[in-house]
Amino acid sequence: MLEISDLSARVAGKDILAGVNLTVQAGEVHAIMGPNGSGKSTLAQVLAGREDYEVTRGSVTFEGRDLLAMRAEERARAGLFLGFQYPVEIPGVNNVYLLKAALNAKRKAAGEPEVDAYEFLALIRQKMKFMQMSESFLTRGVNEGFSGGEKKRNEVLQMLVLEPKLAILDETDSGLDIDALKVVSMGVNSLRDPKRAVVLVTHYQRLLDYVIPDQVHVLSGGRIVKSGDKSLAHELERRGYDWVGTQVA
Amino acid sequence: MSAALRSFEAQWRARQADALQPIREQAMQRFLKLGLPTLRDETWRYTDLRSLAAQSYQAAAGEVRGTLDPGASLSLVDAQASTPTLVMVNGAAPADADAVSINGFEISSIRALSKHDYNSLLRFFPPVSDADQRRWTLLNTALFNDGLYLKITGQVTVPLIILHVSTGDSAQELAHPRIIIDALPGASATIIEHHVTHGEVAPLNNSNTHIALGKDAQLEHYRVYATGAGATHLDALDIHQAQGSRCKQFTIALGGGLVRSSLEAHLNQSGASLESYSLLVGHEDRHVDCVNIVRHAAPHTRSRQTARAIASDVSRVIFNSKVIVEAGAVHADSQQSCRGLLLSPNAEIDTRPQLEIHADEVKCAHGATTGRLDPDMLFYLLSRGLDRETAQSLLVYAFLADVLTGMSVTSARAAIEGALISQLPDSQILRKFR
Repeated sequence: MLEISDLSARVAGKDILAGVNLTVQAGEVHAIMGPNGSGKSTLAQVLAGREDYEVTRGSVTFEGRDLLAMRAEERARAGLFLGFQYPVEIPGVNNVYLLKAALNAKRKAAGEPEVDAYEFLALIRQKMKFMQMSESFLTRGVNEGFSGGEKKRNEVLQMLVLEPKLAILDETDSGLDIDALKVVSMGVNSLRDPKRAVVLVTHYQRLLDYVIPDQVHVLSGGRIVKSGDKSLAHELERRGYDWVGTQVA
Repeated sequence: MSAALRSFEAQWRARQADALQPIREQAMQRFLKLGLPTLRDETWRYTDLRSLAAQSYQAAAGEVRGTLDPGASLSLVDAQASTPTLVMVNGAAPADADAVSINGFEISSIRALSKHDYNSLLRFFPPVSDADQRRWTLLNTALFNDGLYLKITGQVTVPLIILHVSTGDSAQELAHPRIIIDALPGASATIIEHHVTHGEVAPLNNSNTHIALGKDAQLEHYRVYATGAGATHLDALDIHQAQGSRCKQFTIALGGGLVRSSLEAHLNQSGASLESYSLLVGHEDRHVDCVNIVRHAAPHTRSRQTARAIASDVSRVIFNSKVIVEAGAVHADSQQSCRGLLLSPNAEIDTRPQLEIHADEVKCAHGATTGRLDPDMLFYLLSRGLDRETAQSLLVYAFLADVLTGMSVTSARAAIEGALISQLPDSQILRKFR
């Protein structure tokens, strides 16, 4: 589904990614771990199409298409979803409006008719219930005044409504208490499907107790320096990221 | 002496004395002495009046040629609702002003009132001042022919509209609309002043509104500039607030070629509270210059100023606000928030929030930012699949929401929103959000 080859990227004149190689097949859950500043979030943003992040080398294909040639909105409509580490507050733009516009943009790209307003509201309410979100969400601005946990739930809610083929979740677990972490994990697990894939970007192993990954990768210095199964996450938790660094050197 | 000044003086000499003559005399003498404001004057540094000063002006007629088509201009009220409307043509009060009866209001022409109640009128004409932001008010005081006096006596829920129609044969005509709004203690009302143009050309419009709020009175006041693209409009608003009174004021600039809008609020007694909202839309080559001066002159007074400026094409928008906390005005509480949004590389927005504090124990905050659309917000929307035009329009719309959502007259809000959207890029997309 996703094939990243020798990907290098630069942000504000600084090289952050230095030759990332990664293959994600449909049906898989991958975890990308690594110390702060290793390039995890940059990788997520580059995949989602952030324009001020300059790709200097390499290629990425998504379902056989050249992902880097697509604009951010085209990637989203093709089924790629980024769950933001820091979801943006947009006062004055209603949550429901955004969700509806996003869903309709995707349906339009797929040649489907716009969603019926009544059905749409029913769908939102059902997903909100699943994510244990309060009704007030419906009338508020996008992430406006949300707590850290509410913002992360909102990211997962958007993901559930848009049903992406590939979800990249950037530290969706950070800043969550254990109850919120369980709800978010449940949301992610509900999306697991032989036709979809999930990439979890995380600093801690904690999330991986609830969302069991098929593969774990360690990103360090802008490259994947070690890959393994879920036991790698436990080992990292025990021995720290320095241990991987030593291995590579 | 400039051509404009000479013509103002000629008008002054030609007019007949009336009951207000002493006040007028003082104002005119001071105006002639000070002359027109120039770029060297503090509150005029962004607005050049030299081409205006080079023209000669004559008094505009107080009547409409042809029929006035209310549908031709933006309508701020529901066609269904029976909203009382007073029409003022080039500042002339309706001929039957004294006979108009609207529940909760006592209405008369200023001239009629000056004949039998001169002394009570005096307090609505504050002493002449050299302050440059008051320059055109001096001229208005000297030359206004007649105006409207509105006394709010009760608690009125239906908004009252004053439709100011600017009309004439040439831009070398001059009008001086004058309104006095006098709210008795405990009274409340909503008043919308709506400025429009009838016909192709409009006179130079030098309007002034004076608001006096008695103890615990409440007023929601709108001034909506929706004149034609060639119009020059100089508008001044003075607000004087007594104890516990509350004023919510909206200044909406949607039209005109050159708009200069000033507001001077005097929070004279404790508990007085002002919320001022400014929505300044620069479009094509429009020039909008807005000056707010808020004086906290008593303890426990409160002011909030929210300004949103948008500039597209080659327009220029200026927002200057100043909060003055006078000595003794302890526990004054003020906030100024001004945000500017540039939608074109050739547009310009200048903002300057200022504070002048002469008292201790006050709470004053101010902030001003101007920029383009936030790239983080834009990327967030794009990453959800919205196309670029929709995402941009949505953010522009959101930018305006802070001012629009404060309006309690829903029909006015809808009309203003509609007119505003039509002046923004991608207006077809924006209409879908309404």
